[in-house]
Amino acid sequence: MSSGRPMIDRYRWYEYAVIYAGMFLFLAFVLSPFVEGFLVSLKPLTHLFSSPYRFWPDDGSFDAYFTIWEHVPLLGRYIFNSLLISTVATVVVLILVVPAAYAFARFEFPGRGPLLGAFLGVNMFAGAVLLIPLYRLMRSMGLLNTYFAMIVPGVAFLIPTAIWLLRTYLLRIPRELEEAAWVDGAGRLYILRRIVLPIAAPGILVVALATFIGAYAQQFIFALTFNSKSELMPLAVGLFAFFGKERVVWNELMAASFVGIAPVMIGFIFLQRYLVAGLTAGAVKQ
Amino acid sequence: MSELTLSSLKKSFAGTDVIKGVDLDVTQGEFVVFVGPSGCGKSTLLRMIAGLEEVTSGEIVIAGKTVNDLPPVKRGIAMVFQSYALYPHMSVYENIAFPLRVEKLPEDQVRTRVSEAARVLQLESRLQQRPGTLSGGQRQRVAIGRAIVREPRIFLFDEPLSNLDAALRADMRIELTRLHKKLGATMIYVTHDQVEALTMADKIVVLNAGRIEQVGSPLDLYHRPANRFVAGFIGNPKMNFLAGTCTAASGEGITVDLGPLGSITLPRPGSAALVGQTLEIGIRPEHLSLDDEGGFSLTIRPGIIERLGIHTVAYAPLPNGDTFVALFEGDPPVADETDIVVSVDPALCHLFDEAGLAVGLATH
Repeated sequence: MSSGRPMIDRYRWYEYAVIYAGMFLFLAFVLSPFVEGFLVSLKPLTHLFSSPYRFWPDDGSFDAYFTIWEHVPLLGRYIFNSLLISTVATVVVLILVVPAAYAFARFEFPGRGPLLGAFLGVNMFAGAVLLIPLYRLMRSMGLLNTYFAMIVPGVAFLIPTAIWLLRTYLLRIPRELEEAAWVDGAGRLYILRRIVLPIAAPGILVVALATFIGAYAQQFIFALTFNSKSELMPLAVGLFAFFGKERVVWNELMAASFVGIAPVMIGFIFLQRYLVAGLTAGAVKQ
Repeated sequence: MSELTLSSLKKSFAGTDVIKGVDLDVTQGEFVVFVGPSGCGKSTLLRMIAGLEEVTSGEIVIAGKTVNDLPPVKRGIAMVFQSYALYPHMSVYENIAFPLRVEKLPEDQVRTRVSEAARVLQLESRLQQRPGTLSGGQRQRVAIGRAIVREPRIFLFDEPLSNLDAALRADMRIELTRLHKKLGATMIYVTHDQVEALTMADKIVVLNAGRIEQVGSPLDLYHRPANRFVAGFIGNPKMNFLAGTCTAASGEGITVDLGPLGSITLPRPGSAALVGQTLEIGIRPEHLSLDDEGGFSLTIRPGIIERLGIHTVAYAPLPNGDTFVALFEGDPPVADETDIVVSVDPALCHLFDEAGLAVGLATH
């Protein structure tokens, strides 16, 4: 009997049953909030409070996706703010982290180990613990209610992970490549620019994506604390606009959430193929 | 003219001496091979010449100029690495052109030099490919191309063939020798493979534990090893060593008692001071013949026999537990676990004193 699979990948029918049941359970757990959120966004508001509650919207429509822009005129601005804060944070992190990670990966200097350890230590503080001191700092520097206040603390908390991620990637680049370039007359910066960065591109992209996600997720807490100007609010805070005095406009809230996530999700679908690292093949015989 | 001179060169890593004082002179156009067991310091020595390792003490002189503190590019060397060290994101053309790009040479000169190197190395049809799509031998040639375009005074090769399979290695050996003839440049080549050393070198430098054991032409080292280490390292299969006590030494000959294996008299002058010393007789497996007419004969019982067509190798245990190796031409009538008598002309045998130094010369 030949199923075309290697022996190690062949399973009995009951093994398949267990595997698929497990996958179904996991996916259901992860995806059901999204599915329910999407279904809610399709229903008219009155339906949401009818009993018995029905999951499937009989007279569903995409109306909420149009009315959100009228009810919350700043919604576009919120989405833009979210992307802006995350993008700027990512760019700043990359500018700082690429040279730092290269130095940690290649140079021997006193205090390298303790410094790396310290970066790991910073990671163990949740941003929330430091909110009050940060608030006082921002206030005394007059930075409250600025983009700066929402970006810089985020950057500080994202740098350690990014350094550790990228350093590990850079360590995998064979030293001989840099030695060969050095023998051929290239200087450190030339080597970094022409050899190390292009080879590390998949790693840098992974770090950029991880940082972007991190910035997107954590901006909520900084925006809530350091900012009270509604035109600077990122989406996560801006969504409170759908919380009225007496009721929550659930269908529009969900619609706005999906609209806000959409640009990021589309971006990731395009970028994920670059995440497949294969660029170092052929550098050194494995 | 002397192209490269190393004088009392030393290197220590964190207090451990890796190179313990090396003196060497390399003439323009020579193909010099550094050979030795792993950990002997041959790669470190090459990297010191390249400028990749700091010199602890001593001097490296290239073309009359001390280069200890010069970066590699100013030394007039080019290096080919064991792993090829090709840049995976650049085409073959750009890989070869890399040193010229660093030099900021005008585009037309880059093109001339790269296509010249590609022609010499038969890479013309591969110039637009990425290194990842090439075979091992082609990658090797790209790495050599990158060295050629620099037009260096000295080429340095760090075990360049060790990643290739046996058949390709034999081809590349011939190709490298041909390239050396064509370019007429000085080449220094590091290997642990004595076949590469013997086939390619004008001059072999045998290194052991950070010191030079002997420098000489391939046949010099084969016929006149200066000490036991070189004798055991050069030649395949390895030389047999039989320990014994010197019982007589005069202008006529030196007699050594080998215990259960009998006694042998080597026809070479020896000083009376040798008497009583423990000496070692070195017998090359290829000097043994399947009769008892050689002058010194012994009976062995081979446990393993390798038949290679062109010759046959027999491995037999000795009373002291060592393995004795004999090599015969063709396919002689020998069988496992059957006694055979082999003999050797004592004039062909090597003799080493207690310090491992050669005593007299073997004829050849």
